[in-house]
Amino acid sequence: MTLAFAQLPCPDSPLRRLDPRWKLAALLGAMVAVLLLRTLPTVASALLGAGVLALLARLPRRWYWLRLSALALVLVPFALPLPFLLPEPAGGVPLLQIGGLTLSHNGLHAALLLVGKSVALLTLALVLLATAPLDATLKAAHALHVPGVLIQLCLLTYRYIFVFVGELSRLRLALRLRGYRNRMSGHCYRTIGHVTGTLLVRSHERGERVAQAMRCRGFTGTFHSLTDFRTRPRDVVFALVVVTTAMALVGWDLSQR
Amino acid sequence: MPPEPAIVVQNLGYAYPQGRMALQEVSFTLQEGESVGLVGPNGAGKTSLFLCLAGVLPRKTGQIRVANLDPADPVQRRQLPAHIGVVFQDSDDQLFNATVFDDVAFGPLNLGLPADEVRQRVVEALERVALRGFEERVPFHLSGGEKRRVALAGILAMRPHILLLDEPSTHLDPRGRRELIQLIQSLAVTRLIAAHDLELILETCQRCLLLDGGRLLADGPVHTVLADAALMEKHGLEVPYSLR
Repeated sequence: MTLAFAQLPCPDSPLRRLDPRWKLAALLGAMVAVLLLRTLPTVASALLGAGVLALLARLPRRWYWLRLSALALVLVPFALPLPFLLPEPAGGVPLLQIGGLTLSHNGLHAALLLVGKSVALLTLALVLLATAPLDATLKAAHALHVPGVLIQLCLLTYRYIFVFVGELSRLRLALRLRGYRNRMSGHCYRTIGHVTGTLLVRSHERGERVAQAMRCRGFTGTFHSLTDFRTRPRDVVFALVVVTTAMALVGWDLSQR
Repeated sequence: MPPEPAIVVQNLGYAYPQGRMALQEVSFTLQEGESVGLVGPNGAGKTSLFLCLAGVLPRKTGQIRVANLDPADPVQRRQLPAHIGVVFQDSDDQLFNATVFDDVAFGPLNLGLPADEVRQRVVEALERVALRGFEERVPFHLSGGEKRRVALAGILAMRPHILLLDEPSTHLDPRGRRELIQLIQSLAVTRLIAAHDLELILETCQRCLLLDGGRLLADGPVHTVLADAALMEKHGLEVPYSLR
């Protein structure tokens, strides 16, 4: 099983016990607020807040750091050159000059904002994902009037991604058992093409069979679910604290611009 | 007045989208409570026949009545899932929800039943297949035998009185197969079972249909059809060991 398709951990925690609807609404609100921030002190505060939520959620450390590392791989090519590429405003003094390279205040500010906001957003998303089974979060989204078709699509994708990965693993094993090794050759590129095609055809056929099985059980396109969501005072308090903090951060951010 | 047959098929024809005929002039009747085996080589048209009976594939020619409903009629087709259940050959095709509970509840929810009754049916169906306590399990993590039983529970929760089982013993170990046979025998429903496992057919059915090349070539008592060595060999099958 690869990193991306591993099961979500869902450890027991105060956040795990919250009603998924309130948690989803509050954390989505917090994510939108983080997206709106443009100053470093507010982004640092958002990062701190996300960190507190991650602690409350008792995210498994290794699981969390692995995902932060994956984000770092994506961020580094963008964040690292920024301080050297963005110029100072007219009349401004550069932070540092080494040979032909100029480290600007503007660029450093933009890079720190990019990293801080990305880490805060990822942390909030991981808190959301790891504090309830995915199907509960999706049912909560349905309860919040996200269209059933989207929910069904996400649930089916989540269910069959594991089957798909299993099929890919079996194909890779079959290739290795017949002496195949990845090399830079026409034969290897053709083989990868054939494997991709086989997976696409098999996925299409499975999709057809799943659709037939759904129709056999009376599915007509409407998503139904049984949910036991109940609002308790702690759900409301959590949502109020998160949303109020997020709004306060946005207000502080606007006042600093 | 004699009771209505559970399934009546007359001169059924079905063609694949590419135009090749999958079923031709297939005719048979299943009485209420009968248990009938459907045998034939790969590509004989067994699965296509099941899907035509369930109203999923549109017939090209002929007539079908299932529980006195016509699968070709859109209004009557919508009522079919309450009467006929299909257990697919690959359980992964049938277990498409994130948890066992959601999967078993899928059919009853589509029938528009109230939440309490859906929960009760899920509990009863899982008890029937000896899987109580599996409600929150993820289908992907179940063994082949458990998946097959969850798939069956998903159908039993809809309380159909006609059951179509497509290769039910595939991927099962001997114990799982034995438990499945006992479970099938305990179900008081009309059954049509497609299988290459001819011993299973012998144990669970009184009558047998032989399908090859989309045509129905034999219909008779299971011991007569399966013991006909020439017929079986001609159609890529073998007489089961217990009849040799």
